[in-house]
Amino acid sequence: MASPLEPVSTPCNVSDLYIAHHGWIRQWLSKKLGNTSDAAELAHDVFVRLLVQPRTFTNDSHARAYLSAMSRHVCVDFWRRKQVERAWAEVLSQRPEQHSPSEEHRALVLEALQQLQAMLDRLPGKVAQAFCLAQLEGLNYRQIGERLGVSERTVTKYMAQAMLQCLLLEVELEGALL
Amino acid sequence: MTAATLDHATLQQAAHWFARLSDEPVAHGVHEAWCQWHAQSERNRLAWCYVERVSQRFAPLQGDAAGAAQTLEHLRHTRRSRRQVLRSLSIVLGGAMLGWAGWRQRWLPDALTTDYHTGTAVLGAQRLADGTQVWLNSGTALDVDYSATQRTVRLYAGEVLINTGRDPRPFSVETAQGHLQPLGTRFSVRERGERTELSVFEGQVKATAGVGGDTRVVAAGQALAFDAQRLFATEPARLERQAWAQGVLLANDTRLADFIAELATYRHGHLGVDPRVADLRVMGTYPLHDTDQVLSMLEHVLPVRLEHTLPWWVTVVPR
Repeated sequence: MASPLEPVSTPCNVSDLYIAHHGWIRQWLSKKLGNTSDAAELAHDVFVRLLVQPRTFTNDSHARAYLSAMSRHVCVDFWRRKQVERAWAEVLSQRPEQHSPSEEHRALVLEALQQLQAMLDRLPGKVAQAFCLAQLEGLNYRQIGERLGVSERTVTKYMAQAMLQCLLLEVELEGALL
Repeated sequence: MTAATLDHATLQQAAHWFARLSDEPVAHGVHEAWCQWHAQSERNRLAWCYVERVSQRFAPLQGDAAGAAQTLEHLRHTRRSRRQVLRSLSIVLGGAMLGWAGWRQRWLPDALTTDYHTGTAVLGAQRLADGTQVWLNSGTALDVDYSATQRTVRLYAGEVLINTGRDPRPFSVETAQGHLQPLGTRFSVRERGERTELSVFEGQVKATAGVGGDTRVVAAGQALAFDAQRLFATEPARLERQAWAQGVLLANDTRLADFIAELATYRHGHLGVDPRVADLRVMGTYPLHDTDQVLSMLEHVLPVRLEHTLPWWVTVVPR
């Protein structure tokens, strides 16, 4: 039996947490987004994340603090995704009808774009630019260097930095899923 | 070896090799040097797997690189305003992580090992290879295992309505409590924890409790519940047990408490009944796709009202 002096650790029972916290999370998201159906979906995401990465909370306010940070994250993430979606839609709208890709293809590209943007947001401007020029426009390092006004050596450094960021995200997530 | 054993230094090396190999043309000797590094250790190879995985993530962009580049250019212009949004939310690093995680999470249902499954409030219809039709009720998980000599459906949770297709191979449904063998029919199977409930609407189904336990043939219009030990008494089949496949919740002199318990499986959040009205009787057909509407319909036909303690916590109480 646990000694009464030990901190009580609340077992992370997602359904209990759901009952205790889902309500205010959803309301908070609704207020931020001004839209109840997106809020419902994002509130759901918060709990899915808890299922993926179970956590132990020392008490109710600890759980509350974590969940409110998570809610802010999903909210910002949602805005980011929306922004990418709008930008992509704008690009597509400027094209002649016959050049517009299929729904399915669009969804795939949008998803990849959202990931790429999420990663680029973590990088310094020139590093992000170098990575895009190489990956999307297929420029070689000499051309990128000229474009950005840096040496080829620096471009190589930028590319390694960008890839390392991707790898860290990938590995971090994997760790979270284990 | 897992991600946990990968260290930062190895990832840095992998990123460095990626950078050196991505230039055009690749400098002399780089490829050979990379091969050596790759062959050197298990850890290096694992790190390189991650490089490949990352590259695959961006693969869909190759098909429309110009559009993608334009989109990102667009975003760069709005970056300033986005930074302001972020600040107002006092966000810490990790947002990007979540974008990444969000993408992965969408694939999570695949992590459930079942072939077919539905979430809460989701109904699914499938036609299997032999023409058998299956309808999955809310919260259902099952596997379909067809071999050269057998057709087997394993129900792990929830409820399934099956209309068997014509095929010489015998068809059977297995649950934790036993085994059902239909003879060209339409029937539903519902997994309820300790029990399996069978309702037959056409033809016949042979039910067996446990492994080689009691056996009984259930005819059209009949229903039977059983656990791993025994078969219970045969009862008349209730139409409700196939109505859901048409998106209808059927109540035929059903206790309000039972009706609400069933409705609750189609909604997120809590749905409860005050004991004072639990025994009221409900009649009629109700649309499953809009449970809010069902609840407000109840307010019209019964002396009850809804108490919204919180938006997702609803209790049916006396009016």
